[in-house]
Amino acid sequence: MCAEPTPTGPVESRLRDLRATTSPVEFVARVVTCERREVTRKADGSRRPLLSGLLSDGTATVRFTWWDPPREEIERGTVLRVVGAEVREFRGRPEVTFSWKTRVGPASPAELPRVDAEEIPFRTVHDLRPADEGFRIEVRVVRIAPKSVTVGTERRVVHEGLVADRTGAIALSSWSDFGLRTGEAVRMAGAYVRSFRGRPSLVLDERSSVVRVDGTDLPDPVELLRRPPRSIAEVEDEGGGETVAVEGVVVGLLPPSGLVYRCPTCHRSVRSGICRIHGQVEGQPDLRARLVLDDGTGALAVNANRADTERLWGVTLDEARGRLRNQPDPTLLEEEMLEALLGRRLRVRGLGTKDDFGVTVTPESIERVDIDLDAAAEELFARLGDRS
Amino acid sequence: MALREPAWRVTARELESSLEEEKGEGERPATYLLSPFAARMNRVFLAGSLSPAESIGRDESQAFWRARLSDPTGAVAVTAGSFQPRAMAQLRSASAPRPALVVGKVHLFRGRDGVGYVSVRAEAVRSVPEAEERAALADVVRQTFDRLDLLERVEKDPALTEETLRTEGVPVAWLRAAKESRTRYPNVDRAAFRRDLRNAVRRVAGDSGPSRATAPPAPSVTVTRTPPPPPSAPAPSAAERAEESLFLDQLDEVADVSADGYADLKEVLSRVSSHGMMGDRAEAILNRLEEEGVIEEPIVGKLRRA
Repeated sequence: MCAEPTPTGPVESRLRDLRATTSPVEFVARVVTCERREVTRKADGSRRPLLSGLLSDGTATVRFTWWDPPREEIERGTVLRVVGAEVREFRGRPEVTFSWKTRVGPASPAELPRVDAEEIPFRTVHDLRPADEGFRIEVRVVRIAPKSVTVGTERRVVHEGLVADRTGAIALSSWSDFGLRTGEAVRMAGAYVRSFRGRPSLVLDERSSVVRVDGTDLPDPVELLRRPPRSIAEVEDEGGGETVAVEGVVVGLLPPSGLVYRCPTCHRSVRSGICRIHGQVEGQPDLRARLVLDDGTGALAVNANRADTERLWGVTLDEARGRLRNQPDPTLLEEEMLEALLGRRLRVRGLGTKDDFGVTVTPESIERVDIDLDAAAEELFARLGDRS
Repeated sequence: MALREPAWRVTARELESSLEEEKGEGERPATYLLSPFAARMNRVFLAGSLSPAESIGRDESQAFWRARLSDPTGAVAVTAGSFQPRAMAQLRSASAPRPALVVGKVHLFRGRDGVGYVSVRAEAVRSVPEAEERAALADVVRQTFDRLDLLERVEKDPALTEETLRTEGVPVAWLRAAKESRTRYPNVDRAAFRRDLRNAVRRVAGDSGPSRATAPPAPSVTVTRTPPPPPSAPAPSAAERAEESLFLDQLDEVADVSADGYADLKEVLSRVSSHGMMGDRAEAILNRLEEEGVIEEPIVGKLRRA
């Protein structure tokens, strides 16, 4: 008859299970990020310190606000045991608040909730959203390459690429080397989703795990990159994509197109000889085109680099500079380019990102498409449908 | 922020048949022209033969030019003013009709008599080789068929949902346009419109010979005219009727003051062209009026009412 021994006080919760409640909760979690600041009280102008940031216990990440925190520095990675925290909901996500009633103390990483691999839910690429974590996923590595980046003052290698399942593709950044190779099928746990340039991106770090799987139902990476074009309306609807393929005609150009000057250090475009980051610089000439591609269902911008612009326009950078010397009006160049490209049918593949102005594609390939007039006419004759 | 309006692929005939407008939503609502054939257009993409432009600006500081773009289904006015300097320069650059592509915004002007006139304010114009014009026309006709097919489906199955169409890659905007077209134009003969696309398909195939565009532009009386339209031609649109009456008014005026009671063809053509009806369009109107037996040409170059 004897019941399970019940712990005294509130039961230790997992962050994943937190709901906005009236009763205080207890949990163990690791500090992912934190920031100290002060708020000014309106009533008497007194200042009150607070620490806020993100906490994670491997099942979820939640934002925390810690009123009147201890003076000593709380470092990232510190594991805390929190007793008597309040849970609130903000924009549909739970948040925790530590007040004078809350007891916060250090804890050992061994006290973090044990997450049984078998109980972590499986997710598909299609339903991943920024800030998601605590899931498992099986994907095919479409491509992967190491890249050296500077984080703060530190040089680190990040393995960047693209992974996909039947439902879609997502960018991958791995801060730890799992020896991933193109074409491999893997099951990942402990990955999380970040938003990078408006697109969700899957992130792996040293706490993540990767195992090779058979992956028979995962798509062929080559096939994935050769999928037929879709309507621009669909691409707009989905907010872009990692491997967008569209076909349409050029109906306009967006500024800046034509001859631009770039900072020799960071390649940002230079205005009036000033780089946004490096100040006064000697701008280096470059050619670019921001094409408006339209297929009748929607329109998007395609940022063509120098090589693509020269190939499509048929004018090289040197020739463009020559024209500018004879006719010193840069807007004229842009208009000449539009007149050369208007109505040109193109098939474009690449990364599609969406902002307030619509979708922009950073192309991996731009191909010119020529319509077979005889075949088109035959198809159209068949559709005349002399049904009456 | 509003997304960029797509350029609807439409024929001149579809524009001529469009008489309904709709205001969009948001802070700076766009205006849309609704066609009977499931287009809800703000911007359009046209392919056809562009006539030389004429100035219709009131004074020199406000230059405004107009040309006509004809395709095998009809013709529409294309305008450009000082706010579209490059498009205006392109319109002005030609002295003879040439194959061209036009991207622009549609405008519906309603005269005092309630008759609607559709024109396109050009954003970009480009003269192209004939093959490119035909390729663009293929795109126009294909999408027009796509919209007509969608209209038929909506007619058969009014419960057709956006979700079903989305999986097939049909834009949500098209379904809305199709439903709106059915409400606004309940009695339009869409089958006839589809049949009339035959001339456009012929043009894509290239077997209609050189287009009217490439024929000598000067309406010299000794030139044999293009063959008359097929006998099953549907009733002319409101815009066409307006053009016919303009043509007949000018003919009457010329005939009134002439010694022999005939109207000189050259003079009529030059008068209608000063009213914005360009050479090949005037030819088409003339052909139709002769076809309908309204006017006749008993002596080459001399017209009179039949």
